Order: sequence, then structure tokens, then C-alpha cells
Amino acid sequence: MAKPKLSFEEALTNLEALASQIEQGQIGLEESITKYEEGMGLIKQCRKMLTDAEHKIQKLHERADGTLETRPMKNPAPKDAAP
Amino acid sequence: MHALVSRKPFNPEHVKIHKETAARDKNRMVTVSQVTTLVRRALEDAIPTTLHVVGEISNFKRHSSGHLYFTLKDERSELSCVTWRSDAAKLKFQPSDGLEVVVTGRVEVFERAGRYQLYVRRLEPRGVGALELAFRQLQEKLAEAGLFDEHHKKPLPVFPKRLAIVTSPTSAAIADMIDTLRRRYPCVQILVYPVRVQGETASREIAHAITKINAQCTGANAVDVMIVGRGGGSLEDLWAFNEEIVARAIFASEIPIISAVGHEVDVSIADLVADVRAATPTAAAELAVPVLDDLLATLGALGARLHRAVTTRADVLTVRMKSLLARTAFREPLRLVHRNEQTLDELSHRMYRRLAERIARNRHHLENMVPAIEQIAPHRYLLQTSAAVHDAQHRLRLAMSEQMRRNERRLGDASDRIARGSPRHTVETLTERLDRITRALDASVRHRMALVQSRLNAGESKLAAVSHKGVLARGFSVTRLKKGRTVVRSVAKLRDGTRIVTETADGAFESQVVNHQQMELFE
Repeated sequence: MAKPKLSFEEALTNLEALASQIEQGQIGLEESITKYEEGMGLIKQCRKMLTDAEHKIQKLHERADGTLETRPMKNPAPKDAAP
Repeated sequence: MHALVSRKPFNPEHVKIHKETAARDKNRMVTVSQVTTLVRRALEDAIPTTLHVVGEISNFKRHSSGHLYFTLKDERSELSCVTWRSDAAKLKFQPSDGLEVVVTGRVEVFERAGRYQLYVRRLEPRGVGALELAFRQLQEKLAEAGLFDEHHKKPLPVFPKRLAIVTSPTSAAIADMIDTLRRRYPCVQILVYPVRVQGETASREIAHAITKINAQCTGANAVDVMIVGRGGGSLEDLWAFNEEIVARAIFASEIPIISAVGHEVDVSIADLVADVRAATPTAAAELAVPVLDDLLATLGALGARLHRAVTTRADVLTVRMKSLLARTAFREPLRLVHRNEQTLDELSHRMYRRLAERIARNRHHLENMVPAIEQIAPHRYLLQTSAAVHDAQHRLRLAMSEQMRRNERRLGDASDRIARGSPRHTVETLTERLDRITRALDASVRHRMALVQSRLNAGESKLAAVSHKGVLARGFSVTRLKKGRTVVRSVAKLRDGTRIVTETADGAFESQVVNHQQMELFE
């Protein structure tokens, strides 16, 4: 998509606005359908944002020069999980 | 006062010795130093090396050297006290005038001033613990500095992408937090900054971690929210979170901080400064992230709402379209055409009738003239004229019915077109054309009628030319019976004595038959 990527919050706000616009019926049918498609696209994008993220846990370490580096960290196993 | 204090703890044995000495050397003089030394020895011998003294602090002074000077007092007496810098540094709380304390130390004589003093190694507030007091004092101080003010609290991000946890990496707390975060919101990226949360260096490590994360996690690595804390423990265990250095670091943080220290009962200074306070690390993780399933459900609901909105919109439009189609113009597009056809029929009917009337009138006129014409010899003019009239009539009829047929055909075509296309427009056009055709037809009929009329007139004048009047002018005369005015065509009709009228070109005269004979007589 050429559009700048929206944050999840912005996408939700836009979705709300789109739904309201169509519901109020102040726009033409064609525009309604365009907005509907736009909304469905946003929903898809939001789902992607939520489900595609890297499920990473990292550890921060301070280097000698004072800068931070990240290192992978194992997920501390839940107490009831099998080894 | 000094006497009172010094008298009480004195060992009577010692007093006796001194008294004996004094008695022995009645006139012996001693120096100030010697007296002081004597007093010191006497005190050191008489008083236990460790005393626990209860009293109220007054005249408290913290010298620039770091040593503390103050006076302990009760209702009846006062005691000078000193705490050396090394011991003062260990104090968690801030001693102040009026504070009831229990001090631990020993009494010594400060020889230079000739004064005895209590050298205090430990100072404890009376009634409350030192840590509690320290907590209360720091809380008061930071509150005054505005560190707990609501308007400094930053809102937490609703959908954090990256979350930093400052805590011990080996604790149960970190496992609980990561577990909760992963369960609720697996899309958040977790950064763990390991620190000691207890012991001498803990507060510095925690403060340092907060500062580092703020300074270094920027741009693409920006952290949206931070959890700082540890699992529950004793007040001493949690002490790092009650240190000013931690409070200051939390306050200075640009990143919103959730504090998660211990369990419900204890509130830490860190809790008070943090943007949001959680009772436990698990609670902090719950506050930090939303529930992914809820978000997905919200998205689903929004999708359904969009879909419903568009469907409703389409339904509304469909209903409108249906009601439009139900209207006459669309349901019976030919009704207007039929109405106009009826008008056309009426008009043509009227036209036929008028024409017929006119023709009938002319025929009548003509027929009226027939007897007169019949009396005139050359009937062929009449016949000719009559034939011409008939012919004109016939042609007119033909032309008219042709015209009518054509109009009907065009009307039919137009109806078809209307049925196919936009009826209203076509009907209007058709009506207009119909009017035009009707007018043209009317004009054409008028024209033909005028023609017929003029030809009739011409015939009439021709007829006049050949009438008997012309014959009379040429010298002939017409004889009629006086009775009945019948033209006398034969003498056979005549009798002697019959009265006759003779008509000439310029008049008439009456006479009586006296002798009538048949024609052959003339010959």
C-alpha cells in the first residue's frame, strides 16, 4: 500500500469514522462501497499488525561504552509447563 | 544539672577513694586537665560501655564535616550527643528536633571542653521503625517537590509495540509477567533489563536501567511502556524502591512507567511516582497490554458493522427504486400514448364529420341548382362539373385516408419507440408532431375545399352563361302557361283561349291562344 502505515489506534479511529459515515447515509452509494472496501482493507491491515508481529523476548545488556545491546532471551518456562 | 547527672551513676567506692585522696593531700593543687582526667576515669569505670538512651532530639545540627550534633532531653534533663559521619551515613531517616529516639552509644568525656557526651552509634526513631520513618520522610519531601502530582502522570499507550521490564531476571515475577504478556498480547515485543532488586546496589542499578532505556531505546527501538518492579518481600527487601534515586529516575522518565512492587499491603515510593501503580507484577502486565482476542473481536464487530451499513444502504435504495418503478410512468408507459391516440381519433373523427358536412352542403347546393340546370340544354357542363366535384371529393377522401394511415403508422412507430425509450419525452414529441400534422391536414383540407369551391363557382358562371337568359338575349323567347308557369314546349298542351305569358330578354307579355296548330303546320 502506498499510503503511510497507520498505527493500530489510527486505523481503529478511521474504521469507526468510516462505519459512521456509511451508517448516516449522507454519502452516495458508490462512495459507500468505496469506503466499505477501504474499511475492510483497514481491518485486514489491523489483523496483520496483531498477528504478524515477532513474538520476541530480548535481554538488554550494557556494553563497555555505555550503549545498550539486545540479546535473545529464552522465555522463562511457566512453572507448570513440561520441560 | 551536671551534679544531678554525675551523682547518680557514681560508684560510691570511687567517691570514697577520691574523698580519701583529697583528705590526704589537703593542700595539694591539681590542674584542670587532671580534674577532667579524674572525671573521665571515674565515668569510664562507672558507666557501661553501651547505653540505650531514650529521649527527644533538640538542637539538631548536621555539620559540614558530616558529623551530627544534637541534644537529647527528657522532662528533667539534657544530654549532649555526637554521631560521627561514618555512623550518620547509615541512617535511613533524617533525624530532626522533636523526634523521639532510642540511641545506642557510650558516654565519654570530651576533655578539651570539660564536657561529657554521648557518642551515638545508632539512632532509631521511637515507636516506628527507622525504615518506616525514612519512608514517611522521603514521601513528604517528594510530595512537596511535586513528584507525585497527578498532572505529571503520563497515559499508558493503548497498543504498545515494545515493552521494557526492569527487574531481576531470575525471579518468579519476570516469569509471571512474560507469561501474562504472551497470553494476553503475543504481538508485543518484550525487552528485559536485568537488575538486582535488593541489596546495596539495587537502587542505583534500577535508576540506571530506567535512565539508560530512556536514553538509548529511541527511533525504531523506541519503548512504549516500562514495568519496574519485583515480587513481594519485607520492607527491607523492597527498600530499593523507596530510595530517592529510583523515585527521581522514574519521575524523569519520558516513557510511561508502571510500578509493580510487592503485594497490595505495601506502597513504595516508586509506586507513588510511577505513572500507574500495579499491586503485583502480573497486574502490571495486565495493565500494560490489551487482550488480543478482544481486539480481534472488535475488528470483527467493526467489519460486521461496515457490512451491515452498506447492505442497509443498498436495501434502502432498492426499496426506493421499487417504489419508483411502481409509479404510473414506469408501470404503464403507454397510458399517455393511448390518451393521445384517443385525442387523435377524436380529432380525425371531427375532421371527417366536418368534411362530410361540407361535402353534403355543397352537394345540397349543387342539387338545388340541378333543376335549373336541367332546364338548360347543354347539361354536359353540369355533368362535367359534377364529375369534377366527385373526383375532387374522391381524391380528397383518398388523400385523407392515406394521411390518416400514415399518421396512424407513425403513431404506432412512435408508440413502439416510446415503449422502448423514455416515454415522457417521446410522448411530448409525439403530441407536438401530432398537433403539427393535424394543423397541416386541416390546412390541406381547407385548401382543397377552396379549390372545389372556386371550381364550383366557375361552373356556376358557365352555367349562367348557358342559361336561357342568354338565349333570350339572342332574340328567342320563352312561353309559359299563365297558370302553373309551365314552359310551353308543345302546342299540344295549348287550347284555344288558354292564357299564356311570353318572356323576352327585357320583359314579358300576356296573350291568349286563338288558333293553335301542330308543328307540321308551320312546315
